[in-house]
Amino acid sequence: MEGRMDAYARFRPESSTVPASGPVAIRILPEVARFSLRIAPADLGVASEAFGVALPGRIGEIAAFGSRRALCLGPDEWLLHAEEEEAHVIEAAFAERYAATPHSLVAIGDREIGISLEGEEAATLLSTGCPIDLERLAPGTGKRTIFDSVSVVLIREEKDRFTLEAWRSFMPHVLGLLETANRELAAGL
Amino acid sequence: MSTFRVAGRGRIDRSRPIRFTFDGRTVQGYEGDTVASALLANGTHLMGRSFKYHRPRGAVTAGSDEPNALVGTRRGPGRFEPNTRATMQEIYEGLRTESQNRWPSLGFDVGGVNDRFYMLFSAGFYYKTFMWPRSFWDKVYEPVIRAAAGLGKPPTEPDPDRYASRFLHCDVLVIGAGPAGLAAALTAGRSGAKVVLVDEQSEMGGSLLSEPSVEIEGQPAWDWIAATMAELASMDNVRLMNRTTAIGYYHQNMVGLCQKLTDHLPVPPEGAPRERMWKVRAGEVVLAQGALERPLVFDGNDRPGVMLAGAAQTYLNRFGVLVGRRAVVVTSHDSAWYAAFDLADAGCKVAAIVDTRAEVMSALREQARVRGIEVLPSHTVTGTAGRLRVKSVRVNPVVNGKVGAARSLDCEALLMSGGWTPSLHLFSHTKGSLHWDEEAEAFLPGRKTEACRIAGAGRGLWGIGKALEDGAKAGAAAARALGHEAEAKSLAVANDREGRGVTHKELPTDRDPGRARAFIDFQNDVTAKDIRLAVREGMRSIEHVKRYTTNGMATDQGKMSNMNGLAIAADAVGKAPPQVGLTTFRPPYTPTTFGAFAGYHRGSHFEVTRKTPIDSWAEEHGAVYEPVSLWRRARYFPRGNEDMRAAVARECRMTRASVGIFDASTLGKIEVAGPDAVEFMNRMYTNPWTKLAAGRCRYGLLLGEDGYIRDDGVIGRLSNDRFHVTTTTGGAARVLGMMEDYLQTEWPDLRVWVTSTTEQWATIALNGPNARNLLAPFVEGQDMSDEAFPHMSVAECTVAGFPARLFRMSFTGELGFEINVPARHGRALWEKLWEAGQEYDICPYGTETMHVLRAEKGYIIVGQDTDGTVTPDDAGFGWAVGRKKPDFVGKRSLTRPDIVAPGRKQLVGLLTDEPDVVLEEGAQIVADPDQPKPMTMLGHVTSSYWSETLGRSIALALVAGGHGREGETLHVPMPDRTITAKVTGTVFFDPENTRIKL
Repeated sequence: MEGRMDAYARFRPESSTVPASGPVAIRILPEVARFSLRIAPADLGVASEAFGVALPGRIGEIAAFGSRRALCLGPDEWLLHAEEEEAHVIEAAFAERYAATPHSLVAIGDREIGISLEGEEAATLLSTGCPIDLERLAPGTGKRTIFDSVSVVLIREEKDRFTLEAWRSFMPHVLGLLETANRELAAGL
Repeated sequence: MSTFRVAGRGRIDRSRPIRFTFDGRTVQGYEGDTVASALLANGTHLMGRSFKYHRPRGAVTAGSDEPNALVGTRRGPGRFEPNTRATMQEIYEGLRTESQNRWPSLGFDVGGVNDRFYMLFSAGFYYKTFMWPRSFWDKVYEPVIRAAAGLGKPPTEPDPDRYASRFLHCDVLVIGAGPAGLAAALTAGRSGAKVVLVDEQSEMGGSLLSEPSVEIEGQPAWDWIAATMAELASMDNVRLMNRTTAIGYYHQNMVGLCQKLTDHLPVPPEGAPRERMWKVRAGEVVLAQGALERPLVFDGNDRPGVMLAGAAQTYLNRFGVLVGRRAVVVTSHDSAWYAAFDLADAGCKVAAIVDTRAEVMSALREQARVRGIEVLPSHTVTGTAGRLRVKSVRVNPVVNGKVGAARSLDCEALLMSGGWTPSLHLFSHTKGSLHWDEEAEAFLPGRKTEACRIAGAGRGLWGIGKALEDGAKAGAAAARALGHEAEAKSLAVANDREGRGVTHKELPTDRDPGRARAFIDFQNDVTAKDIRLAVREGMRSIEHVKRYTTNGMATDQGKMSNMNGLAIAADAVGKAPPQVGLTTFRPPYTPTTFGAFAGYHRGSHFEVTRKTPIDSWAEEHGAVYEPVSLWRRARYFPRGNEDMRAAVARECRMTRASVGIFDASTLGKIEVAGPDAVEFMNRMYTNPWTKLAAGRCRYGLLLGEDGYIRDDGVIGRLSNDRFHVTTTTGGAARVLGMMEDYLQTEWPDLRVWVTSTTEQWATIALNGPNARNLLAPFVEGQDMSDEAFPHMSVAECTVAGFPARLFRMSFTGELGFEINVPARHGRALWEKLWEAGQEYDICPYGTETMHVLRAEKGYIIVGQDTDGTVTPDDAGFGWAVGRKKPDFVGKRSLTRPDIVAPGRKQLVGLLTDEPDVVLEEGAQIVADPDQPKPMTMLGHVTSSYWSETLGRSIALALVAGGHGREGETLHVPMPDRTITAKVTGTVFFDPENTRIKL
């Protein structure tokens, strides 16, 4: 059971890079605080105030301030990122407003693992498993999509740099496929 | 061996000779050759044996529609492929090929005896001959037929190659790079649209590669191709893909492309995939697939050396190969005349052009006269001679429908053309309608269902000029439809070879047509007489004719045979072709490897394997795994030489004696939060939730609208507005989806939101009388005494310093806790508990022990003890139904007459009379084992285990009227014996729950 079964070992914080297998650099990203925020769109102002970032109203849009950023994933759903130390402050800020403005803020920091894909061929690499038209995913936007049947959140940080988050137990599958495809890119065919 | 290369012809690279082998013999060709062209260059026409009659066969085409020249190719261990089309396989140094369906050799084949008995092997032969006795089918007929049937040897070793796949989006996808496709791609490309141009051949150009004498815009055709390819290659918005077959056209302009990457390379690059499947989503599709030439149907039309005239033209012009030095042409279409002229100009003696038509353009006759070719209008072909290669052809005049005296013409090659069939395969995939064009005698594309355009010969146009013009228009229209400005530039074409023709059923003959071996489907050995026989025997629809005769059912999907089969069937039925119908083309367009479809899904990535944060510990400690939905879960932890039963017995013993530790991380978890959370829970689950205090848990039962159990789990109320719901491992996604569904469609007014937290938390279960003793020292922020933290409690606290959601609950009947910590800490907490647990002789246990311990307590597993037709009452869980609630999902169904009727299957316990006998799960249960068969079955065993705790076997079963049968003896008939068992309650151990309340 050598090989793929060890994928978990690589997720330990001490080893954050995946061995280079091709032209795209694949890195495991450090842990961050993540929240799934569900709130009525009419109450977005309150949520923006609580989070300290003006939450974007359009699906796919990202807004950030400092290390905090929010990605609109659905009509009433936002993915919030922040530094881990800020988690409690954020929870408290939302809790304060809950009674007047009901919502659901659920910590999902450990639910997902994030990876970064960087290189000129990063979009090509993703196209091996992601069915959306990546050319239409503008830098600075993101969306929930799939990679080879696995539900993922994909953010295009820059033209050639993506962040991909997937549920923890699915990540070895995603990562294994990306490594295989990265080797394929290296082969040049 | 003499060579049939023609100096100065062809696109092969004569500076690069390549050697490969065919049946062990070394053959030399050049770069650019296919296996077929290289063999033909060496005078070899015989390339295989046919499927049924083992008749000698040679290449009949030069393309992907080839039915005869199928060979095995080998590139090393595991890299053997049967049925490779010799007409498509490019040669490379070291390629090994072999002929198929012959023994002991291609030249002398024992199976060829079938051909002598061809009158016996008519259509429906198997159905009629092997009917009786019935008992012979399984043991005798089928194995023998299977051994004799099939073409080519299946590979026996695992495929070591890699296969890739990719998604691609474009504005305009152009399929086919002949004149129409090139013009379409050029026009669309110049408009700025994102264009993808694909062609199955190794180089683009299509029919232009075989028509070098045509001039476009003042340039010879090949120069124009080169210039066009250079311009296309220079455009960033155009992607060119050769060796790429559009195999299927699916919904909403999704087209599957299979690209061959390495099959033509002597040494593929390290790590390169052999093939890549592209899933293309195109704004517009231009189908420029051209037309396929039809053979003529006459006796002996399958002999090696008999081939399509267009193929001979291709072998000459593209590969520089003369298919014979003396040829006869038989045709019903002008195109074959040009082929004859090309061959004659290259040094072939064309003995005659036999045309079935009376009238032929005078210009053609004149060109034939100039070349000294005899012209035989109003003639038919009635036979060929030659054993492994055609030697002569028998031709007869036809006057007023009467076939006159025969005359024999010597030839090395007989070139035939029965006209051209527009290639409508991909269009058919879209379910677009076809209409019968009387004038063209062909089906042409009709109503479209997708954003596609058909250009060129694919819609019945003929001639390079027309194809270019039509392609440019289609490309421009496609680009404009997507908002680009495009103009169809007209191209001046000189020396175009326009023409027309007619189509035929089988050609008239002066001999007995019932004895003619006039082939329609060359690969499946279907003859004209088979089609007529099928009609005589009652087949009227072309679909029936197809299945009865197997016409068009070979791997070429009848590319050559469908129209001839239809023409003959229509004639036999006495109706017009469209009334007899056309069979449906289905993907893939050409045979496609399983590897290309499987793509990356092989070995460890065949399917997602989900692992918990504690999985690695289990692996290090020798766990044996079992798959549970997508998860792999530790089933048991054998020590030493323990088998499963011994290991599970020990795990059960140790857990009940002291403490066991179990990885429950796979359990589904859903956070239900919002002011209306309790109302939502009341509506979803059968249980009442209003009075459940924060900090307490309850077992929840979820039904479908039909009133049947769908899922269950322990649910903790964290606060007034927040629940921590657990689901079964396999039901997690389904339950979340069901909740979202109700929230979005039924109760959008509820202010409540659901979020999956399955993977946020790692969950460790501790069970056993020492569970609290082990756990309590690690807990901060929660009084662990029974009074402060009674059974079915939940608290947010810290465990071993990790933030935790701690449940006191039990799925074993022992004092139990489930500790949820953020997933990253799962293994660390497990290790701390493991270390501290040594003092208590802690035992890690797996899912099997979990199953046994819960069964001893009568706790059900949804999906094992329920099967989608079990109500709460059936399962004995009526207590979990809040009947006073105004509504919940499934409530109304619980009062349906069927649901309240007596005699429903109900969950009971079963204790075998012999305590050592463990029943088989799934075994059927009867009341009277002596009743006549088929017996009335009362139900089946759902769970059955050896219970170490009780020192005997236990079982749960669904039994008709089970709750009223307590004490009855029932019978479980097994293959070797009948087992008796008594009906009991479902709780076998500690019915007072004293152990839970420690």
